[in-house]
Amino acid sequence: MINIFQVAYKNLLRKKARSALTIVGIALAAWVLVSLLGFNRGYEMSLNRDIDNLGFQILVTAKGCPYEAATLMLKGGTGLRYMKADVVAQISKEPEVDEITPMLMQAVFDPNKGESGGYSAYLGVDPATFPKMKSFLEFKQGKWFTDPEALEAVMGYEAAELEQREVGDPLLITEKNVEVKVVGILKRTGTQDDGTIFLPLKMVQKTFDKTDDLTGIGIKVKKEASISKLEDKLYQLPDVQVVSMSQVKQTIMTLVSTAKVMVFSIALIAILISVVGVVNTILMSVMERLQEIGILKSMGATAWDIFKLIWLETLILCISGGVIGAFFALGTARLTDVLIRRLLPYAPSGGLVQINPSLVLLTFGIVILIGLLSGVYPSWKAGRVRPLEAIRSQVE
Amino acid sequence: MSQTSPIVLEAHDLVKIFHRGSEDIPAINHVSLSIREGEFVAFVGPSGSGKTTLINILGCLDNPTSGKLSLDGRVVVDEGRVLSESALTKVRRDIFGYIFQKFYLIPTLTVQENVLLPFTFYRKPGADAEVGRILKLLGIDHRKDHLPGEISGGEMQRVAIARALINRPRILLADEPTGNLDTRRSEEIGELLKGLNRREGLTIILVTHNPALANIADRIIELRDGAIYKESWSSNREA
Amino acid sequence: MNSGGADMHKKTRILWLLFLLLVLPARESRGAVGCDLNDPDRDVARLFPGSTGFKTNYVSIDKKGGPALLAQIEDRLGDQFQGLYETIDVPYTLYEVFKGKEKIGYIHGVNEKGQYGGLQVFLALDLNGVIKTFYFQKLTSKYGRELRDSTFGDQFVGLSLKDFYRYDVKTGSTGGDAALEKIKNPVPEAEPDFKAALRATKKNLILVDEFILDNKYLPYHQAAGGTKS
Repeated sequence: MINIFQVAYKNLLRKKARSALTIVGIALAAWVLVSLLGFNRGYEMSLNRDIDNLGFQILVTAKGCPYEAATLMLKGGTGLRYMKADVVAQISKEPEVDEITPMLMQAVFDPNKGESGGYSAYLGVDPATFPKMKSFLEFKQGKWFTDPEALEAVMGYEAAELEQREVGDPLLITEKNVEVKVVGILKRTGTQDDGTIFLPLKMVQKTFDKTDDLTGIGIKVKKEASISKLEDKLYQLPDVQVVSMSQVKQTIMTLVSTAKVMVFSIALIAILISVVGVVNTILMSVMERLQEIGILKSMGATAWDIFKLIWLETLILCISGGVIGAFFALGTARLTDVLIRRLLPYAPSGGLVQINPSLVLLTFGIVILIGLLSGVYPSWKAGRVRPLEAIRSQVE
Repeated sequence: MSQTSPIVLEAHDLVKIFHRGSEDIPAINHVSLSIREGEFVAFVGPSGSGKTTLINILGCLDNPTSGKLSLDGRVVVDEGRVLSESALTKVRRDIFGYIFQKFYLIPTLTVQENVLLPFTFYRKPGADAEVGRILKLLGIDHRKDHLPGEISGGEMQRVAIARALINRPRILLADEPTGNLDTRRSEEIGELLKGLNRREGLTIILVTHNPALANIADRIIELRDGAIYKESWSSNREA
Repeated sequence: MNSGGADMHKKTRILWLLFLLLVLPARESRGAVGCDLNDPDRDVARLFPGSTGFKTNYVSIDKKGGPALLAQIEDRLGDQFQGLYETIDVPYTLYEVFKGKEKIGYIHGVNEKGQYGGLQVFLALDLNGVIKTFYFQKLTSKYGRELRDSTFGDQFVGLSLKDFYRYDVKTGSTGGDAALEKIKNPVPEAEPDFKAALRATKKNLILVDEFILDNKYLPYHQAAGGTKS
């Protein structure tokens, strides 16, 4: 037996190249759409996670540009400015403060890294407060150091891999010629922590001769307390810069939103083009088959039957294109990630393009809607063909 | 066929006028006729005589300007009042099977699928049971899994006939069914139609300008200028 | 006016993004970290004077031959692969170097655990697997200056895997190989890194032999008393 679905499908097989090209067009549109929606979702998720994984909502640094400070904390880097250690005591007095952790970042030049040397960065952290704030960090080997002056190090996974270090191995802080012992290796987090080498704060201060200096103070605000109120108070402190992570996020999202608008308008154009392509394909095939449609009607097909048949053909094209496009998007998500990363002002770590089932379903929904809409006119036109057309056009 | 068979098609005073600019061209000029169940009627005549226009009106594919047409006792057209398009579709699928000069087979469907195509829209009760018999009757049983591109023109027209018969129509309307075939295949199709009429009792209305084909019908109606010019009964059939 | 220019710049970037999305082929993502040249264009030209281009290939023991291949490589090395990072799935980057259309050699680097950090030992080889250049891309050592000095690396030039078979990577014994005896450790205190450099070199040469030279040097291993084929 045979059903209308098979007839529609086999009709499409009659012009394979044309059907295939139409499907490719829809697939491209679906691909762009899925990737963009995935990016839209993933970027914000990654950014939120990056910020949450900092473990603190407010970062106090020495005066400088706020974005640079954020970048410094997020990425690790150079061009350091210092503030005095007693700021910690001052801030601790504020009632909104839940936890506070001082940090000192140091970078040393290693002439034996690469052809022309390179920087290694170390983050001095307080073993009493830092691990508690970053309790989500997990260890692959070992554990945190406990002595604030110990010659010990905890390494992010990538840093450890680069240096081929395992727990118990010695690690050399090159410029200072100081040897420390690796006591912990963190699991991969997908954040900047992967590339960080953590050392006890006091030891860093001593080694680098910065006994009274800090580069950053992380503050975790009490759950019920107002972050902005605390921020206002922190602004009163001399020579410090207050970076609130929600501000950073805001700023970054604003920067990215311009890009998003552009990209979404391009996606919209891609979709419009594919709609026009579908309408054109189906309309063409209807025009070519006027006589045949007349015959179908003489066989007893109603206008609605013909409408359904042509609509089904449109839907098959759109759904196949949608499926291919969605799979393609899944397959190339990482590549898209890499490319977007290169082009954005600031890209958080972790997957920028997050494609999940509901997103794929949404895209299917959109593609099917496109199919339904773009099929209406050709199907209606086909449904109106009178059986006589078949005979009339053969007479002349 | 006997004179007492019920009348399945009755046309009274059919007129069809085509408007071309300000000129009115009468294509069908006061034609009245009736066809009884089991008859094999051939319409012949020179081109422009109106035979195709007439068969289209009789087959409910076109509407007359005036006149009355009843099919199987149902009035389809009466003085310009026509049934709705959907009602016409119902009449068409109940009464008629159509075949044309071109076969209109879907090239990507097999012979059997092409024959079954009408079922995707409409299935007359009990029609399924006939499928195998119809394929055999038309001698395309052994070709049922082939694609149209793999069979001959004669076979393609047989497929088209099988498709027209699948819903067991009361009347088979054939408009130049051998127009695309060579002499030998035309004869085969002619024999086939004759057989369907004689053995299955199928009413057939045929339009052709091929005298040999027309001669297999038991009633030949010759049209000239849109009117019946001559009507003859062939004697090649015993009563 | 200025902001208009910045907008234009942004637009161009986004158009490029779409262009790249549509045109670039997918790249394989990698789990474990391999050993790439930091700046391949510059580094290949420097390590292989006279070269005009190169092709980058990624090979891992896992994909090439699985555990059986790993066993053979360990046998040839005379030591097990060890630790968190010296694993079967490490992707090795093998650069094929060209002069015009003609292939003139290979560059291949490996990671090796040193005393205070990771070593990255790159070798530029001719088509027969003979060392043309020895290069520490990265070296964390108190004696980095001495080890990275060209007088150290030059000692490896002209050697091939043939010369390393009698070298015992565990003890550092040269096994009496005359060519290897000539390689001197510039600083006695740097012994662990010196040995790591030699182990890295041997490992590097074995991998190249397995990956691209069709085990041309395997007979020397057997002659030197290798345990199996």
